[in-house]
Amino acid sequence: MSELTTKYLRAEKARGTSCRGCGLRPAHHKVLEAIDRSGLTLADIVWGTGIGCSGRQTYATWKGDTFAGTHGRVYAMATGLRLALPPEKKIILTVGDGDAYTIGLQHLLNCARRNVGVTVVVLDNLGYQSTGGQYSITTPEGSVTDSSPRGTWEQNWAGQGLDVLNIVKEAGATFIARHTVLEGDAPVSSIAQALQNPGFSLVQIVYPCVSHFGVQTLGTRSVPEVYKWFESYPLSTGILWNSIGSRPEFSEAFRQQNNNIKNRKQDV
Amino acid sequence: MKRIFETGNAAICEGAILAGCRLFAGYPITPATEIAENMSRRLPEEDGFYLQAEDEIAALHICNGASLGGLKAMTATSGPGYILFADAFGWALSSEIPVVIVNSQRVGPVSGITGAPGQGEFYLSRYLAHGGNYETIVLAPASVQEAFLLTVRAFYLAERFRTPVTILADQMVTDGWETLLLPETAEDIEEMDLIFYDRQVHPGPDFYPPTDDIDIPPVVLGHNTGGACSDWTPTLKGHDTEDIELHHQHAWRLIHKILNHRELIDDAEEWEVDDAEIILVAYGTPSRVVKSAVSEGRLQGLRIGGIRLISLWPFQDKLFQRKASYLVVELNWDGQLVREVERAARANSVHFWGRCGELPTVKELLLTTQQILEGKTISREAWKTVRWSHV
Repeated sequence: MSELTTKYLRAEKARGTSCRGCGLRPAHHKVLEAIDRSGLTLADIVWGTGIGCSGRQTYATWKGDTFAGTHGRVYAMATGLRLALPPEKKIILTVGDGDAYTIGLQHLLNCARRNVGVTVVVLDNLGYQSTGGQYSITTPEGSVTDSSPRGTWEQNWAGQGLDVLNIVKEAGATFIARHTVLEGDAPVSSIAQALQNPGFSLVQIVYPCVSHFGVQTLGTRSVPEVYKWFESYPLSTGILWNSIGSRPEFSEAFRQQNNNIKNRKQDV
Repeated sequence: MKRIFETGNAAICEGAILAGCRLFAGYPITPATEIAENMSRRLPEEDGFYLQAEDEIAALHICNGASLGGLKAMTATSGPGYILFADAFGWALSSEIPVVIVNSQRVGPVSGITGAPGQGEFYLSRYLAHGGNYETIVLAPASVQEAFLLTVRAFYLAERFRTPVTILADQMVTDGWETLLLPETAEDIEEMDLIFYDRQVHPGPDFYPPTDDIDIPPVVLGHNTGGACSDWTPTLKGHDTEDIELHHQHAWRLIHKILNHRELIDDAEEWEVDDAEIILVAYGTPSRVVKSAVSEGRLQGLRIGGIRLISLWPFQDKLFQRKASYLVVELNWDGQLVREVERAARANSVHFWGRCGELPTVKELLLTTQQILEGKTISREAWKTVRWSHV
């Protein structure tokens, strides 16, 4: 077990649930590296998760306080939780591409609009993989999957023409980054920056599902072959938007607003 | 004691705030809109948070998140929003996190009629979460004053049982204006028999033990207890599991923490039932007509009694063991409460008087009562109902 694992993860859950060759565990550990680099401790973070591969891999792995929400709704839960927690506590949400961009998009966008102080880490495995490999909004166009036997034909939001992160930006997010799991330190650095943002941050980490996407779309279960394809998969990566500090964080603004109301009342 | 003239909607807000509610998230909907409006005015005065959610799915999830962080929270809606609560209700129920939900029933199905009373969510309030394997607490006020009292009680029960508690009202209770007494002193609170329960913090890191005990504090995050909480079937540490034996324990706890402490929940009012040949049964606003019908019927020499259910779920079978006929009065045409009464009353004859959007009159109820006592077919205008049983 690595030092980070011992330090931050519950021993009985640390092994995780992901398949051999999956990028989920390395991506999960990039979050841990960013926490470590930021000097944050178990007491500093409340860790929430969604459902699917990302939720099952990461729920209750964190040794500190942790919860799992219903599918796509953790952004709304985090909005309430943020108001209940002291401002110095960080909230990290690890979720999947389906959770953030389809079933939960409405709540994600409103969380971004309010600039709620959370760091959303989207663990994007290019489809619905825990249910056996169906296409999602980030599946590459034309992909054969279990629910697109003739190849996907609908427009996706995967950064090939249309990009869901543009919508997240327009909704009001104050920090947005996208990386592949192969980018080494870059995702760690972006997550560390996100953790310093008092407001809403989203970091998407993309990796290919070997077991389903590899087999169904690429025709191979070979980890090197899947990643060889992935290296040339066109994605705009890096820090895509940074307006940290441009708007007040939601819970802070809310408390300020309540104070103003009380002061006005006293004046009257 | 402060004496004011107010709506049930305002009464619910005052009860919530007195009970310690400091977050309300909702989406305006007739006839519960004024609960949101009142909370938007009142909560900032108490350092509380009022949020207008993007939809009812978010509204209850925001409340759940706030409660998970230690705040007492409430949301309110009517039928079309209530159905959207299902997802978040299930989360709070299975994660065992306290929250209070108000549903002011209007005329359905679905959008139906907004500004008239209905009682179409009797069963939905019991089965709002999918998957079964649980019991739930539902309270039903019949007046503005009782809306206040039951809201205080809902928060109390939610904390002790670590569960969502539903207040199933109707449009007449929430929109109606009546005299409302609000306590101003500790003596007032005692006189009104109000009890409160502060939020406790689960010590963690283990999850709730596999017992039927209440007063085990709910998981509260942010205290570095290592608390883990989810809607998955939990291990003893709160981790997700597919172990069926652990699921048995989870389901047993969800069911029996409520059933084995129902003396804290069960509540009803009975009128003249001891020698009654026929007992009228209702909850919410129609129960007020039933009460008048019992008084009027007694003056006419009828051996008539009445039962008003104040707690709906878990269902109080014990109230229906008297040898008598039962006439169940509801604000729906399909008959919901009557099905449960018939199950509970077993061999007794059970009849149904239903209508939606408007109340029955005393005269109508007494006519039906007479017909039942004389063994005649129940009839009223164009609508006919026979003995409820599928004979």
